[in-house]
Amino acid sequence: MRGFWERYKFHSLFIKIFIVMVFSIVAVAIAASWTTVRMSERLFMETFSITNSKVINQIKANFESFHYSIVTATNNTGLSGTIKSFLTEEDSNSLRVLRTYYNMTTQMKKIQSNVDAYQVGIKIMGKNGRSFSTNTNNLLMTDNELRNHKLTLNTLAEPKRLMYQFYQESSTVSSKQEAEIVASKALMERTTGDIYGTLYITIQEKNFHTFYASFVSTGNDVAILNKEGQIVSSNRAELLGQQADDLLGYAQKIESKGLDYVNVDFKGKDMIVLADYLSSYDFYIVNLIDKKTALGQMVDSKMVALICSAIVLVALVVVFLISRRLTRSLTLLTRQMSKITERNFHNYITVTGSFEFQELGHAYNYMLDELNDYVDKLVHTQKEQRNAELAALQHQINPHFLYNTLASVNFLVQQGSKEKAVQTIHALISMLQNALSNVSETITVMQELENLKSYVFINHVRYGERIRVNFFISPDCTEFYVPKLIIQPFIENAFFHAFNRKTEGYIHVLISQDAGSLICEVVDNGDGMDNGHTELPGAESKRQLFTGIGMKNVHDRIILLYGEEYGVTVVSNINEGTAIKIRLPLILVSSQN
Amino acid sequence: MKKSFVLLLICMIMLTACGSNSNTKNNAEAGTTGAEKAKEITIWAWDPAFNIAALEVAKAKYAAANPDVKINIVEYAQSDIIQKLNTGLNSGTTKGLPNVVLIEDYRAQGFLQSYKDSFYDLSSSIKGADFADYKSGPTSLDGKQYGVPFDSGVTGLYVRTDYLEQAGYKLADLQDIDWKEYIEIGKKIKEKTGKALITLDPNDLGLIRTMIQSAGSWYLSEDGQTPDIASNVALKEAFEIYKEMMEADVANVHADWSQFVAALNSGDVASVPTGNWISPSITAEASQSGKWGIAPYPTLPGNDKSVHASNLGGSSWYVMNVDGKETAADFMATTFGSDSEMYQTLLTDIGVIGTFKAAASGEAYSQASEFFGGQKIVSDFAAWTEQIPSVNYGVHTYAIEDILIVEMQNYLNGKDIDKVLGDAQAQAESQIK
Repeated sequence: MRGFWERYKFHSLFIKIFIVMVFSIVAVAIAASWTTVRMSERLFMETFSITNSKVINQIKANFESFHYSIVTATNNTGLSGTIKSFLTEEDSNSLRVLRTYYNMTTQMKKIQSNVDAYQVGIKIMGKNGRSFSTNTNNLLMTDNELRNHKLTLNTLAEPKRLMYQFYQESSTVSSKQEAEIVASKALMERTTGDIYGTLYITIQEKNFHTFYASFVSTGNDVAILNKEGQIVSSNRAELLGQQADDLLGYAQKIESKGLDYVNVDFKGKDMIVLADYLSSYDFYIVNLIDKKTALGQMVDSKMVALICSAIVLVALVVVFLISRRLTRSLTLLTRQMSKITERNFHNYITVTGSFEFQELGHAYNYMLDELNDYVDKLVHTQKEQRNAELAALQHQINPHFLYNTLASVNFLVQQGSKEKAVQTIHALISMLQNALSNVSETITVMQELENLKSYVFINHVRYGERIRVNFFISPDCTEFYVPKLIIQPFIENAFFHAFNRKTEGYIHVLISQDAGSLICEVVDNGDGMDNGHTELPGAESKRQLFTGIGMKNVHDRIILLYGEEYGVTVVSNINEGTAIKIRLPLILVSSQN
Repeated sequence: MKKSFVLLLICMIMLTACGSNSNTKNNAEAGTTGAEKAKEITIWAWDPAFNIAALEVAKAKYAAANPDVKINIVEYAQSDIIQKLNTGLNSGTTKGLPNVVLIEDYRAQGFLQSYKDSFYDLSSSIKGADFADYKSGPTSLDGKQYGVPFDSGVTGLYVRTDYLEQAGYKLADLQDIDWKEYIEIGKKIKEKTGKALITLDPNDLGLIRTMIQSAGSWYLSEDGQTPDIASNVALKEAFEIYKEMMEADVANVHADWSQFVAALNSGDVASVPTGNWISPSITAEASQSGKWGIAPYPTLPGNDKSVHASNLGGSSWYVMNVDGKETAADFMATTFGSDSEMYQTLLTDIGVIGTFKAAASGEAYSQASEFFGGQKIVSDFAAWTEQIPSVNYGVHTYAIEDILIVEMQNYLNGKDIDKVLGDAQAQAESQIK
């Protein structure tokens, strides 16, 4: 859990960016597709209603031309004396009747030719009881039934009008329930106004709807309503004959307000309704467009949604990859930076990622460079300073030491120990040569040993040989380099401080190699120190000392030169002696500095 | 910078994708129905009480064996069928034409000769010899059988026996009469009952046709091409009889089929000399059961060749050479072409007297009809069928009849008979050639 949180912390920027992106992309996608669908819907609706009003005009024209044929046929019938006499004359002898019938049928054939283009039946019925029908399939009822039928009564009520009525066959003669449109007109004697018969021109609904059948399609229906709101014709057979007051209401609204179309809810479906009034028929022509079906053909919302989701998905993947790539450098940077701990300025950053992060990385690395540079310089300066200090101390060869040594030489010369005096002078020369040369130079263990031997020799000359000094040098260590005057101060210290109470003893100098380090030990069996005071004493009494370099200085110098793991350690017990251990790196090359 | 550019790009891609997507349209479904056996056939016929009813029986029979085939029976008036066929065949397109159509025998040759390729040769499905011999003329061409002969048009004289009796006659008196005697009887009936003897349509010379065919004559000479009017003795006699009937004032007039049937059913007329297919329409009026009888057809007086049998109408089924013809042919061959059992049903249930020879041996054909006073009408008709003189209807029957209808009016108005027939001959020759 904590690990997760840690990880999250480093990715929080990415997660935030990604979430924002996800939301924006999804929102944009939804908004865009919704707008597109909406816009195309609206556009479609507009064009659809424009096209459909043209279609309605076309349908209207079809109806009008049909109406015109009917009118022509009606007028011709009304004008025909032959038909009038057929319908008015009483039965006489066979010959005469036959002639009347014959003339009438000839006349009717001519009239029929007016409406030949349409599948209509013409029926005439006279007040004398005679009738004639050109199509026995229509108006399947007896003449008596027809005479008292609503069709006839309505016609006779308005004898001057050619009216269109809806009639559904319900005759017992036929099982057919054929719907028909019946155009009817009373045949009237023009001078007197007497009605001598009725003319019926019938067209089956299935033929009537061919006037508009070619304009309809799924979801685009046409219904013809009469004034009472009954559907007299429709391409949807199930609507036929039904009462549709709501549609009539819409049609009247459109007609009276001059609207292009209305959006309505018809039989639970969202529809666009266009309508027009057929004045010659007294019918309303209503065009119903089912939005869902019509639009379904046009706009496949499911497909839109699918494609949008696919695009969103692709976009998200792309955004994921890109934002991850963008933030990864940052995350890496953060991680690398956070690794920098105290006094560790060497964590350089791998420079990757986009330009900004590269710049940042460069800048950071540059900063580290500067910092390290600065620190190096600082260390260097300190070293210089210390070296300078040492040099100063080193060059401060104690005049007492020189005085005492020279006094001892003098004494030796006086004694006649000329040989020994020469040796002492040589030792002094060797020591001075070593001490006065560059303090920062390293010398081999061998050389250092020579120096130490010279020093010990001088001391033996001066103070007698009650303190013996033994050197145990591992042969494999003679070639290693050590800083100058590293061991001398400890031997000096042992000479002058370890044998205050004891009068004699020994000092062992051991140089060996151990675990990659050069170990130099100065062990004495002198007075020893209290274990609590094992820190290295500084150079206090300068009288007997060779130079100003104290043991403390040696330790600091080693640390400065070689690091913390090297240095001087002291183990001491009262009356047992003191063991000093100097740990140095194994250096095979001489250094000038 | 880079990021915002990528974002912009993505947005653009998305918008264009959404935009272009709304333009996708559904592809219209491609047309179906291959060349395999059609599952749906359409049949045109007229007369719901007769032809359509027979079709329904056949359809039910066929559907039992072939439930996957849908048969649409469409009823049109005969004139509509003729018109639609002419329009369709003339325009050279088979679109809108049915698979099977009923055509009257008089017109059959006209269609077959003009549009031979539009009809499907049924020689492999049915045998012309299985049907009444006089049917082979109209239904075949160049030795190929195109039509499935359907009903017989054998005529009889349907009479109201009750009116006869009132006028002092019996059905037995009518067994061997000529048209003059028929008119005399009519006068008596009119006198006694006030009912007309016959009902006529001035635009239909069916009566004339039956008269001349009974004498082995036709509007055309035997070649089926040359009009035979002016010198046609039988035709002249028939015209004279027709006029005599009018002058005797024994004729009722009707103008269409419903009025014709209404005249019979209302009892306005005492007799109907016509084809046997009228039986269902007469028996439809159940209240007149037992009041009808059928006498042999009257002969032309003074014409030796005239027999007591003739033909009127009758039609046959034709398979059109359109998609689904195999199915249609199969339907026809298995029902009307071979199923004699079905013909028994047709006869008992509908009154259809078929021309399928094998069916005549069925028991339904020898049954007595209660409606017609126990008369074995079917076997009577069968006997008369054998006597029908075979004539060549040719291809111009109705063209000539149209001329004759007009000339008949002229004749009735007083024009001389020879002049009438001579003019008709001249007109026919100029029209046909």
